[in-house]
Amino acid sequence: MRDLGLRLRSWEGMLLAILVVVVALNALAAPGYLTVQNQINLFELSVEKAIVVLVMTFVIISGEIDLSVASVMGLAAVVVAVLSSQGVPTEVAIVVALGVGSLCGLANGFWVAIVGLPSLAVTLAGLIGYRGLARVLIEDRSVGGFPDWFESLGQQPILGPLPLALIIFAVMVVGATIILSRSGFGRYVYVLGSNIQVARFSGVRTSRVRLTIFTASGFVAALSGVLLAARLGAVRGSTAEGFELDIITMVLLGGVSIFGGRGTMPGVILSILLILNLRNGLGLANVTGNTQTGVIGVLLILSVLIPNLVGMARSRFGREEAVTLTSPGMTQID
Amino acid sequence: MNVRLAIALLGTIAILTGCSSPGAASPAASVAASTPAASASEPAPSASAAAGGAVKATPGQSVKMMLLPKFLGILPFDQANKGAEEAATELANPEKLSFVGPTAENSVQGQIEFMTNAPTQGLKVVMLSNNAGDQIAPAAEAAQTAGTKVVTWDSPIPSAKGESLFVAQVDFDSIGVVMADMALDLTGSDGGEFAVLSASPDAANQNAWIAALEKALKDPKYAAVKLVDTVYGDDVSEKSYNQALALVDKHPKLEAIMAPTTVGIAAAAKAMQDEKLCDKVKVSGLGLPSEMVSYTLNGCAPEFALWSFVDLGYLTYYTSYLLATGAIQGTEGEQFTGGRMGDYTIEKDPTRDAGLRVLMGPFTVYNKDNVEAAAK
Amino acid sequence: MMQTVLRRVRPERLRELILILIIIAVAAFFATQIPDFLSARTFTRISTSVAVVAVVAVGQTLVVLTRNIDLSVGSIVGLVAYFSGTMLSNDPTIPAPVVIAISIGIGAVLGSVNGLLVAYGRVPAIVTTLGTLALYRVALVELSGAKTVTTDTLPSWMLDLPQVTLLSLGAIDVRPLVVLAVVIAVVFQLGLRYLPYGRRLFAIGSNPEAARVAGFPVQRDIFFAFVLSGALSGLAGFMFLARFGNITVTAGQGLELQVVAAVVVGGVNIFGGVGSIIGALLGATLIDLLQQSLIRWLEVSEFLRDAILGLLILLAVASDKVILGRLRTLGIRARQRAQDDADAIDPTDPAARHA
Repeated sequence: MRDLGLRLRSWEGMLLAILVVVVALNALAAPGYLTVQNQINLFELSVEKAIVVLVMTFVIISGEIDLSVASVMGLAAVVVAVLSSQGVPTEVAIVVALGVGSLCGLANGFWVAIVGLPSLAVTLAGLIGYRGLARVLIEDRSVGGFPDWFESLGQQPILGPLPLALIIFAVMVVGATIILSRSGFGRYVYVLGSNIQVARFSGVRTSRVRLTIFTASGFVAALSGVLLAARLGAVRGSTAEGFELDIITMVLLGGVSIFGGRGTMPGVILSILLILNLRNGLGLANVTGNTQTGVIGVLLILSVLIPNLVGMARSRFGREEAVTLTSPGMTQID
Repeated sequence: MNVRLAIALLGTIAILTGCSSPGAASPAASVAASTPAASASEPAPSASAAAGGAVKATPGQSVKMMLLPKFLGILPFDQANKGAEEAATELANPEKLSFVGPTAENSVQGQIEFMTNAPTQGLKVVMLSNNAGDQIAPAAEAAQTAGTKVVTWDSPIPSAKGESLFVAQVDFDSIGVVMADMALDLTGSDGGEFAVLSASPDAANQNAWIAALEKALKDPKYAAVKLVDTVYGDDVSEKSYNQALALVDKHPKLEAIMAPTTVGIAAAAKAMQDEKLCDKVKVSGLGLPSEMVSYTLNGCAPEFALWSFVDLGYLTYYTSYLLATGAIQGTEGEQFTGGRMGDYTIEKDPTRDAGLRVLMGPFTVYNKDNVEAAAK
Repeated sequence: MMQTVLRRVRPERLRELILILIIIAVAAFFATQIPDFLSARTFTRISTSVAVVAVVAVGQTLVVLTRNIDLSVGSIVGLVAYFSGTMLSNDPTIPAPVVIAISIGIGAVLGSVNGLLVAYGRVPAIVTTLGTLALYRVALVELSGAKTVTTDTLPSWMLDLPQVTLLSLGAIDVRPLVVLAVVIAVVFQLGLRYLPYGRRLFAIGSNPEAARVAGFPVQRDIFFAFVLSGALSGLAGFMFLARFGNITVTAGQGLELQVVAAVVVGGVNIFGGVGSIIGALLGATLIDLLQQSLIRWLEVSEFLRDAILGLLILLAVASDKVILGRLRTLGIRARQRAQDDADAIDPTDPAARHA
């Protein structure tokens, strides 16, 4: 444990270095890459996912998983759209959607923290069930026709070149970083993820912390869903479908251990920047969606594998103690 | 630490250079070159269009174009690309056509990404088979503002926002009539029950066609046939297969399954064949001859319909080229020559509330007499 | 009487019994809702549709027992189905055993990539298989060149395979693919129970550290769990080809979620060390029974189905947990009462860990 800090720093260092390389290559290969508009586009296209990534980091560090986030995003978007289309003021519809999302999260939390079911099972059921609820509400329709102020919130810049979702993301980045690394709650999250028994014995109210995390996850997912509805201007039953894998990928590439207890917010933020820039560069270079996904898959594996191999090689030649064997935040059974 | 970093970097560079070099080769200079040519040629052709003649394309102009299907890896879109390439060769466009698409599971988000990036890439036209419904409209509008035309084909933007034109394969209302005719045919002179097996509940063109079918069925001519159910197989073989069997179990008197999707029709036909139900329940809808030939010959799917995706790709390319070079403006009533396919007129799309279309047509109805030739 | 049962029956058996009870309850409910539900036809429908998922779930169970996960299975099924289909289209004379062997072989190779990375490269399984989930699908899209494998190019034995009835028990038809799935499940259940390798998988999942100290070849065992998962997915790919005939690049997409759901509902602990193949098979059956029944239930609209499915999966997991928890407490008390201490020391017995 003693050089945990050092290792985490080097993980982030690696992400930063790859990011620099990606940015440099993009700037050389794709002419429009460095324009302000493209930089805004690049964030705007995935900002809803990025917002959920922040809260998913808390979920995974606490040793749990939430597979239902994309379905909650879809459900919240559908609630806003369906209510607005039936004459409910959009402001009210937004509040209801956020409430529904929080309830979904609370329900997940209840089954996990109070009943004691595995979060994978609970949120897998949520993934199917919440999407199902969205379908019940919207059936085979596509609902749009939001008031202009709502769509322009999603599509127009409100501060300099920045649209609302980016500002929310920026604020949340700061907030999430402070909560995770500086607050008592953040410490609880780590303790919970490292060892739930220890957490219990050391007086952490484990159920309450987990309930809070899952409810926050539901709320933030719903917020993202509403922002997505505003950006797209129309909502369907499939809105945000499949986003959970991208979201989890970004958290894991950020150096967060899937087994809980390890990972940092700066790592996750670098991972978000890296994936968004990589995708944008590949897209500008006319690389198909399949290859983009493949490249990110390779990057995900190599980012863990290469440090591991280097560590193994070093320990074989006896130059350094065995502790560098494991990659940062991602110890595996051995 | 240093060694680790260095190796990680090398690895990434290898991936990046390996994957991005082919696409990155397209020079930005030619885009700039194409713009003056396009604007220079604007006034003349529109004048000739007003005079009533069909506008003809001037080959050899440099136009950067992208063909964006719903996703990559299935036959209809590949055929469309073949047609577009044929047109590109004919028109001697020095810019290579880029044929890119998202993954099947990330289709909506992926299409929006490509659309958003299009102006940055200097594309003059995006030819889109829309899978995102109206969700792509803001991105398409932004692209139009930034100078990239959006021509849809196969599946339009329902609200027509951000869309210059829609190259329609056939008249959407006529798809309803053709499906009603086939249902009547297959259920026999005494009529009977049939059900629809669609793609996903929010597949815009499938929904439009089912609506057209329901409209067509109101005609007293079809009084004997009854549409009893609509189910969704999400364009996944496994799901469609199970849904087809469930339809048969749910409706004991069912005589036909109508699947307006190439994945659904093949899966349903296979399901009926496996459960030896082909004598009782016939399968029909929209299918690819090469995928349906064996079911048509053995009587599981005696007839089905489709249009040529090669022609659709060809006409879409022609139309988009004319639009991007300024030869046509994309207004109602303009006439142009679509290469080997003859003359077309831009008209209001009667199957949507707004939007303009170029109607290709017609259908081919396939049966045991013509399916083998078409499957080659 | 109850006391004796509780003392004798191991927790996994109990869990399987509970799953069977839930399955019976679900079937009984739908029998009141769907005309003609309790028929040979329903059996054929559900058994044939569960066969492919079940074979993949067997492999997934092996991996999950070792505290890992394999999310690449859907892509392996699709890739193998496509590859074998193309091979047969090009040369329909290739005999069936060769095609099956090649399918299993390709699956094993793809699985061994996962295994190498996880066991020897020490890359977490979820990271590895999220990556290969994407990579194997990319390979399929690139390989396919947008060509579809179509039924008419396949040899007739392949087309007959899903249709023929291997044996008839009264009115119930048993299809070859179903027999294959059941044989696989039984063989692996026995192997898991009686082979040293099988028992080591439990030990590794329960406590990797202890397993290593005990001198088990942990890395090799995990490697082979992934190879087996890949090989079984390869076999499932062959079954997929036989059943659906038309193979596009989306074949098997999303199968991983179905399989993970089957395994989790089947009581295999996602944190390793606890579970059984029979449990996974029952989990797969329960989910498929729910899906197949819901799409035949006229009272329920097409759009309500998934909402109900999600709720029912949750209830299945919850009732399993609640009933099992209750019974386990009773069982432990019964054992203590019988002073049957020796029984509880069995290191592979999860009750000992959880108590």
